[in-house]
Amino acid sequence: MVLAQILLNGVLLGGLYGLMALGMALVWGVLNIVNLSHGALIMVGGYVVYYLFTLAGIDPFLALPIAMAVMFSLGFALQWGLLNLVVRSKMLNTLLITFGLDVVLTFTAQLLFSADFRTINPSYAGANFAIGGLTVPTVRLAAFGVAVGLATGIWVLLNKLPLGRAIRATAQNLTAARLYGVNPRMLYAVTFGIGAALAGAAGGLYGMISNLTPYIGASLTAKSFVIAIIGGLANPFNVILGGIFVGVAEAVTALYIGPTYTDVISFGLLVAVLVLRPSRAVRAA
Amino acid sequence: MTAPAKTPASRTVIETRGLTKRFQGLVSVNNVSFAIAENETLGVIGPNGAGKTTLVNMISGTLTPSEGEVIFDGARINDVPAFRRAHLGIARTFQVMKPFPGMTVLENVAVGALFGRDGGVKSMAQARESAREWLEFTGLGKRIGVGADSLGGPDRKRLEFAKALAMKPRLLLLDEVMAGLNPVEVDEVVDLIKSIRGQGLAMLVIEHVVKAIRSLSDRVMVLHHGEKIADDDPTTVLEDPRVIEAYLGKRRT
Amino acid sequence: MKTRTLILAAAVAVALAFVPMFGSDVMIQFGINALVLAVLAQSWNILGGFGGYVSFGNSVFYGLGTYGTAIAMTTYNLPFGVGLVIGVVLAMLGAALVGVPILRLRGPYFAIATLGLNGAMMAIFSNLPIAGTNIGLVLPLTRNDTMFYELSLALLVACTLTVFWISRSRYGMGLIAIREDEDAAGTMGVNATLYKVTALILASIFTAVAGGIHAYWSTFVDPASAFDSTLNVRMVIMCVFGGPGTVFGPVIGSFVLSTVYEVLAAQISTAAALLFGVVIVLAVIFMPRGLADIMRDRANFTLRYFIRNIRENRL
Ligand SMILES: Nc1ncnc2c1ncn2[C@@H]1O[C@H](COP(=O)(O)OP(=O)(O)O)[C@@H](O)[C@H]1O
Ligand SMILES: [Mg+2]
Repeated sequence: MVLAQILLNGVLLGGLYGLMALGMALVWGVLNIVNLSHGALIMVGGYVVYYLFTLAGIDPFLALPIAMAVMFSLGFALQWGLLNLVVRSKMLNTLLITFGLDVVLTFTAQLLFSADFRTINPSYAGANFAIGGLTVPTVRLAAFGVAVGLATGIWVLLNKLPLGRAIRATAQNLTAARLYGVNPRMLYAVTFGIGAALAGAAGGLYGMISNLTPYIGASLTAKSFVIAIIGGLANPFNVILGGIFVGVAEAVTALYIGPTYTDVISFGLLVAVLVLRPSRAVRAA
Repeated sequence: MTAPAKTPASRTVIETRGLTKRFQGLVSVNNVSFAIAENETLGVIGPNGAGKTTLVNMISGTLTPSEGEVIFDGARINDVPAFRRAHLGIARTFQVMKPFPGMTVLENVAVGALFGRDGGVKSMAQARESAREWLEFTGLGKRIGVGADSLGGPDRKRLEFAKALAMKPRLLLLDEVMAGLNPVEVDEVVDLIKSIRGQGLAMLVIEHVVKAIRSLSDRVMVLHHGEKIADDDPTTVLEDPRVIEAYLGKRRT
Repeated sequence: MKTRTLILAAAVAVALAFVPMFGSDVMIQFGINALVLAVLAQSWNILGGFGGYVSFGNSVFYGLGTYGTAIAMTTYNLPFGVGLVIGVVLAMLGAALVGVPILRLRGPYFAIATLGLNGAMMAIFSNLPIAGTNIGLVLPLTRNDTMFYELSLALLVACTLTVFWISRSRYGMGLIAIREDEDAAGTMGVNATLYKVTALILASIFTAVAGGIHAYWSTFVDPASAFDSTLNVRMVIMCVFGGPGTVFGPVIGSFVLSTVYEVLAAQISTAAALLFGVVIVLAVIFMPRGLADIMRDRANFTLRYFIRNIRENRL
């Protein structure tokens, strides 16, 4: 029974992890940028929802779309104004610049929001219900639902809508995309904006489940990265499944080995995944 | 298999047996067996996508075969990593040229001298000297100090060639080194290749220019859809109706 | 490299050695920190600048050097020198153990795999009784800033000489070939795995000594200070800002940034950290080859140089 509960918690949290990774996988797959500031964007999204809730009194779930719009604009601007200037440069340079962005976002957040822990705490935060002897936390279930919903949305966008077709054409081949009449600069900015919007949604949900500080970015980037590798870059649902895998692995580790070791385990998992799937790792060089 | 008629006594340098490479569903190279002896030049022709580059990749160690064997000097080298194959004496050029962009032309070639056959020379001065010689030889003597990324197409081909030669190979794999060159340049490269023949060097030359293939090759192998459809002396192969249909005919239209 | 540059570098090193005779205490302390950071940036340069492999995990070697020295000196009452050796051995073992699996990874995969290293090590040392768990260790007090300064300077000189040797050796050519195109390097005979792992081990040696010196100087070690992930930020930025893959770039970059940081941190420390981020973003955009590329040829210090850099890489 304990194990079943742990597994359930892992699955629910894992859905959110998958949502975190979704934006990173999208940007990586289409723009070939491994965005090291992705975790920081999640963090910023979390604060946006936090302030919409505490200052404007908007329900956090209703604040999610607003936060996504805000984060879309931020992402669009970053890609348009900064990242587009270096996309054709070596992978090293895109890594470094997004790393620099991560530092900027983190310490800007510290200046603006202070280093204190914040939690998004609506009245129903502690609500839960029981099914078959298992306790289901309502907020986590809802977060899981949002994650799956957004993954579905991305799937529809990529596979059914003209914008998605243009995005995929660009991912395949930049010059071909130009021939289709797509402006790659615009398209890159839109794609990065969507990635940031997804990060924003993930951040808002994360803030309801865990603590926000300006420093959570790096570990969330690493987690998103592991999941993006496990799930692949092509299919949003696989990314969610990848998130669930990591969520369950973490939950089981915390139960059997001890919560302080989750960092060691996720690092081990990362290395194991990378080393066991070398073809993927080598291809992206 | 057709034995090299001219030099029946000479030793086989490279041999493949039933070499096959599959990419997901696609079979790029299908059950290809051939051998090249010392001092022998094998020309390889075939339409684009026939599997020529894939074949070279499996010999140089860039790709591992799905099936079959690569045998160098009598030993199976399927599991030998690329760098060790270079030490054994296998050198190649890349059809999609791969100069080290951040290095000068001289340094590019020096890498070949420093790390090539038997692990190369240990002294930088010696490597530079030998690089300089190969650059003179390939006609790049005047461009020694410039950055490799500032070379134009034909010069990049020459650089690829010089890099491979500096490794002092026993087997040289040339993947379309003449593509994109004008007729005069093609003649120059043909002369270069002729002048390095001998001294035991075995060569595999992939080329579309029929005239060049005819004048360089002791034998010509034809690949079509990954399969070997001919392997014989140049005149016989280039007049074979199947070859003309599969390859030459299409190019004439 | 021009003889003039070498003579100038030697003169600067000698001049720096005399700073403790004239400088104030504050200045010497600033000097120690700046020298230690320069060693970290220069060590990072070996694999990062020459080999092209961006590591965000070199701080673990610093931490291992720190703890090796601290444990030897506190728990076993061994002399400082022995402690340093133990720290270095630990770091080299760590580099080999970590390097062999993760250096098979390329580009971003390697970089991200290293991101988790620091956190994992911190978790392990926080649970080790011999390392004082998360309380830490207190080292014997030695009030001799001049000694620590000269040690750090000597270390930086040794590290820079090593990099100088790399820049002109067969070994360095192999590393650069890997950076420029690892597949092509392999087919030309470069044993990439061997080169990358030895580069990481080499870096771990200097980084660990820096950690040991700093531990003894600050007389206190705990997981948070030993495995300080901001060290990774700083060493990468200093090297990239100065000029990755050059001999003096990382040293110049860290001296410049340490000074700027010191001036700013006196005012507002968060803003100083923020500045580092801004610097790296701007550096990647405007001078991807670092300060050294500008200093090599002063003609590069023009608007056109910066615009050309952008033109080359923008969409
Ligand atoms: N790495 C690879 N992954 C998938 N398919 C490949 C790869 N390399 C080659 N191919 C496929 O194998 C076939 C043969 O290619 P190639 O050997 O380059 O032909 P050639 O050199 O004769 O023009 C082509 O259809 C090509 O698309
Ligand atoms: Mg080809």
